[in-house]
Amino acid sequence: MGRFIVRRLAGMVPFIILVSITVFMLIKLTPGDFVSNYAAALAAAGETVDDAMLASMRSRYGLDQPWLVQYWDWISGVAVGDFGYSFQWQQPVSGLIGERMGLTLILSVSTLLFTWSVALPIGVYSAVRRYSIGDYLFTFIGFVGLAVPGFLLALVLMYVGVSVFHADVGGLFSSAYADAPWSWARCVDLAQHLWIPIIILGTSGAASLIRIMRANLLDQLHQPYVDTARAKGLSEFTLLVRYPIRVALNPFVSTLGWVLPNLVSGAVIISVVLNLPTAGPLLLQALLGQDQYLAGAFLLLLCSLTVIGTLLSDILLALLDPRIRFQ
Amino acid sequence: MRQLTKLAMLAVAIGCTGLAGAAEYHEAPAMAELVKGGKLPPVAERLPSAPEVVQVASVGRYGGSLRSAIRGDGDHNAILRLVGNQGLTRWDPAYTKAVPALAASWTVNANATEYTFKLRPGAKWSDGVPFTADDITFVVNDLFTDKAFFESPPSQYVVGGKPMRAEKIDDATVKLIFAAPYLRLPDVLATPLGQHPTLYAKHYCSQFMPKYNPDLPKLLAAAKQPDWPTLFRQKCGDIEIPARWGNPEKPVMDPWVLQTPYGGSATQVLLRRNPYFWQVDQAGNQLPYIDSLTLKVISDVQAILLAEIGGQLDLQVRHTNTINNKPVLAQHAKEAGYVLQELTPTDSSAMGLWFNQSAKNPKTREWLRNREFRQALSLAMDRDEINEIVFLGQGKPWQIGPLPTDKFYNARLGTQYIQHDPAAANAILDRIGLAKKDSNGMRLTPAGEKLFISIDAMVVDTAAIDTAELLKKQWAAVGIELGINTMERSLYYEKAQNADYDIGTYAVPGGMNPTLDPRGLIATHTLDSRQSIPWVRWYATGGKQGEEPTEGMKERMRLWDAWKQASDPAEAERMVRRIMDLAADGFEVMGTVQAVTTFGSRSVKLMNVPEKIPFGWDYPTPAPALLQQFYFTN
Amino acid sequence: MMAGGLATASQAKLTWLRFRRHRMAMVGLGIVLLMYLVALFAEPVAPFNPDKSNARLVFHPPQMVQFFDGWAFSPHVLAYRLARDPVTLQPRYVADGSRKVRLRFFVAGDPYKLWGLFDGTIHLIGPENAGDTVFILGADRQGRDVLSRMIHGARASLSIGLVGVSISLVLGITLGGLSGFFGGRVDWGVQRVIEFIISLPTIPIWLALAAILPKEWSPMAIYFTITLIISLVGWTELARVVRGRFLALRGDSFVTAAWLDGCSQGRIIFRHMLPSLTSHIIAAVTLAIPNMILAETALSFLGLGLKPPAISWGALLREAQNVQSIAAAPWLLLPGAAVALTVLALNFLGDGLRDAADPYAH
Repeated sequence: MGRFIVRRLAGMVPFIILVSITVFMLIKLTPGDFVSNYAAALAAAGETVDDAMLASMRSRYGLDQPWLVQYWDWISGVAVGDFGYSFQWQQPVSGLIGERMGLTLILSVSTLLFTWSVALPIGVYSAVRRYSIGDYLFTFIGFVGLAVPGFLLALVLMYVGVSVFHADVGGLFSSAYADAPWSWARCVDLAQHLWIPIIILGTSGAASLIRIMRANLLDQLHQPYVDTARAKGLSEFTLLVRYPIRVALNPFVSTLGWVLPNLVSGAVIISVVLNLPTAGPLLLQALLGQDQYLAGAFLLLLCSLTVIGTLLSDILLALLDPRIRFQ
Repeated sequence: MRQLTKLAMLAVAIGCTGLAGAAEYHEAPAMAELVKGGKLPPVAERLPSAPEVVQVASVGRYGGSLRSAIRGDGDHNAILRLVGNQGLTRWDPAYTKAVPALAASWTVNANATEYTFKLRPGAKWSDGVPFTADDITFVVNDLFTDKAFFESPPSQYVVGGKPMRAEKIDDATVKLIFAAPYLRLPDVLATPLGQHPTLYAKHYCSQFMPKYNPDLPKLLAAAKQPDWPTLFRQKCGDIEIPARWGNPEKPVMDPWVLQTPYGGSATQVLLRRNPYFWQVDQAGNQLPYIDSLTLKVISDVQAILLAEIGGQLDLQVRHTNTINNKPVLAQHAKEAGYVLQELTPTDSSAMGLWFNQSAKNPKTREWLRNREFRQALSLAMDRDEINEIVFLGQGKPWQIGPLPTDKFYNARLGTQYIQHDPAAANAILDRIGLAKKDSNGMRLTPAGEKLFISIDAMVVDTAAIDTAELLKKQWAAVGIELGINTMERSLYYEKAQNADYDIGTYAVPGGMNPTLDPRGLIATHTLDSRQSIPWVRWYATGGKQGEEPTEGMKERMRLWDAWKQASDPAEAERMVRRIMDLAADGFEVMGTVQAVTTFGSRSVKLMNVPEKIPFGWDYPTPAPALLQQFYFTN
Repeated sequence: MMAGGLATASQAKLTWLRFRRHRMAMVGLGIVLLMYLVALFAEPVAPFNPDKSNARLVFHPPQMVQFFDGWAFSPHVLAYRLARDPVTLQPRYVADGSRKVRLRFFVAGDPYKLWGLFDGTIHLIGPENAGDTVFILGADRQGRDVLSRMIHGARASLSIGLVGVSISLVLGITLGGLSGFFGGRVDWGVQRVIEFIISLPTIPIWLALAAILPKEWSPMAIYFTITLIISLVGWTELARVVRGRFLALRGDSFVTAAWLDGCSQGRIIFRHMLPSLTSHIIAAVTLAIPNMILAETALSFLGLGLKPPAISWGALLREAQNVQSIAAAPWLLLPGAAVALTVLALNFLGDGLRDAADPYAH
């Protein structure tokens, strides 16, 4: 196992470099560059911008250089911890990402906890009491939740929230605490706002998880070893938890490592609609506006998280199920 | 127009005279506290010796915070539109003429090459340092000419091929000098792009220029910036970059100053009153009335609309002001405590079809350039249906050009071929060589190929997409097949640059004050004159690049150049009228429906807001309606 | 069925018998078949041409069909007429006197070309007079019939969407299976490929694609290409899961037994190991379907969704994603119900198949 981990870690660096080149190339592949996007944004709003200014911006940002040169400028900075500069905000990228990542982490972890605490018990219940009224009910709710696009659900809930309950529109803080330093009151304020995005972000995840848990448990419940254990007189609860559930957790663990990257890049549009100050919307803006170093740094971070996450989930797989060995 | 003017004048009448004698000035309670605590000089010392007196409709009370929403992605101009338009001149609220602002008055020489501006003596930046002629000469003589900062000076200050120069007469008098006549300078200075002379405080911003600060390398190293222009822009901003709203230390002449800046992570932008603001009302109360602005950063337009109907915004005129939002806004108005704010359009056509005269596609190019073909398509268009479905019946059939209320109105430009006449359209199409049809009744070119024309629209522009869907149906009735391409903004603009489209779609500006933005009449706009961007390039490079325009367009360009340097107002007006005529002959841009009045929202408690505010960019709504004299009642 | 018949019945027959006893599965099967039939014959089944707009019928609310007129069976709806509020511009529909629009089966209506081949005018159901309208599920912002649009939208959503799911499924099982079965170098290689794919940002890919795709392509061809690419990315999650389970299973006694029996690798993977995760695969597939049907909705803001006038359920939902629709015309959200119904039906069908094929089922 130790050798396996060391080998995987050693492979990480060249892999990430490969990904970073591809990612940078992809960013450059999209139509236009930052300056043309910037001008287009203003023009589309009916505003005008001076052409001379655009030309000087392009040369100032080095956008008239070949992309490999731009990549090299950036990646050589990354190597010494300088992630570059955001054209859009005239701010170092690291500061921008840092501010957003904290809240993203809080939201991701709370959503994960919510999803698991709702989905696992319901999934187990649905499998054990298969074809009961409860099972059908959860199946029905789950699929309706999956069949409505998340951002539409967000918009509908926000509409109800605003027009019926006079709730604030999105965001994670009320106006008074938005820029306040961290304090107990600010945490309370955060908690008061956090549950809406958690429910909206977690709903489709929970619905999927219930189905997956139910299915995997069903695959196990009819295995002969369960009958054997039951015959040996184990209580139904111990029996469930000791063996079938453990095996049924395997699929979750397999993809556990992707939870964070998924929440950053997967729920972008929902986050935009809900106006969450998380990393997703900033990444989306950076990609659409071709703020290349900001986008690049974000994607590099996500890639590293994915690689580490996959490694962690492989280790967990082996811990969960002693039959699994990585030679 | 006249009616509108009257209404607006009723709401905010402007006087230019100072208060007679030793005036008694009043200030906000919070400011008075600071004065009492010795933290601020008394109000009379903070104001210029002759502050601009705004004749407000009703003298307001101090206090409150105005809530509005801006978007998270590059919406810095929303802040500019609220506070940032404080130039030497400004528009009168009805958008009829430029009136004095930071300049108390000006005179111009006989051939319009020299303007002498009288500043307000004793006017101060938001940090209390006097605003003088030096600030203006700093921008004009030091910055505009610096190749490192401006590769070439902004075009609005270049006349006769040479940038303008500034000459300080005394602290409160400055002369702007041009190489050729420049009649429209006062108008230009009232637009957002004409704010440079009052944008940079010399005493603060000069520290980022090598010429004034020998220790600059230290500053650069501390800020980790590669060169001084980058650092300068980061600290002092530019007219329309986000960094302009990123530095709370920067001195400004605006009614409110930054408290929480607009950055990549901002969830709200806060601005608080400028204690040194240079306007008072007729009772001697220093403006602004409202203490602060709370601008919520909301990325999604639908979410802004939700905030609006939830009564969470006190004034919103941007992003949600499309006609199809009116029903939902009206539905919630009473409950949420706001009223609809009428926004008069400054555009000409609510949706225009820009026929690409330089189309890359050789199969469609010939037809797009055929005026009779365009005429047939215009006759085949059922504008009433478009009006009813897309613009909720609020517009009327219309082509392009100045609206009937404008002094340059040209009936032919505005109303030629707007009747719905499929028979006439069919007759023209048959005549010009498209008589053959395939089995589906779609017309074939003389070569026997199907004629397939496509229309491009941005995905966010639902009005354009809906119009295109209706056109597809209407044109199919005369045998013209239309494809619809929806795309993201960046691609939409990229394709314009490459002339890789048949028909572009977006609203045509120029309904009011058409000379400020003639892009639909003359190919001048480098990004959006979609009748042909290669023509714009030809014009901009003096014929070196791009594609040579038609004779009619070349004539318009020549007249436009001549008009810019005309010194006789009557002669200038004749030239504009001739341009209108030639544009009607050219007919490169087709209109659908006249621009419609749209609606924002304002709190029922917000007073002194004109009944109607023009909506535009050269008139950067709502700043020229003078936000600083709005106030909240109890 | 006699006991003797059961004892000698083939495996397939036994499965079918067990499946038929599964009531929900039969209902699911019925719904799925019905939906495909409707999609196949969309033109005659839909009461109107889905693209026919009418300025006087925008946001027409759904009309309740009344089956009896007095005591006589005569399905009809009450006619409404538009009265736009002059101030708020809100469209309001008021009863048009007591005028009734009678409905008939197999009536002549909007002309169409079935599958682009056969001309026809007969619709399964429609108003007696061809000029009248009936909006069972309301009308959209251009006055087009939502029901007809949903019926036509089923075509793209039930075909192209499902092709995408199948591609993901095959790739996911094969590559995940190989990775988990062989372990070692194969596993290392496949896992790095998966990591690579997951790390690639999709938005620039879509933006670049939008620029590259030729505009002469039909909207359906573009939709298919997009689905293909989504499925080329979408297999990774299933592959990880299959691999994880295979890693655990490959040491199990039944696999060793199969080895010793001289089974080929392919037979061990597909015949012995894979069936023990049927439930997971069925669940994964049913979960992937709504995602695939709706994927284009999320792409639409990049200009890559289905372009008008082509229709799919995703495209219809996209048109509903604004406050005006939610506030004033909630019936525009109905395509979501169609997606939910499809997925529920497919899910029960899948469950039934799984139970029927499971020799351990009690």
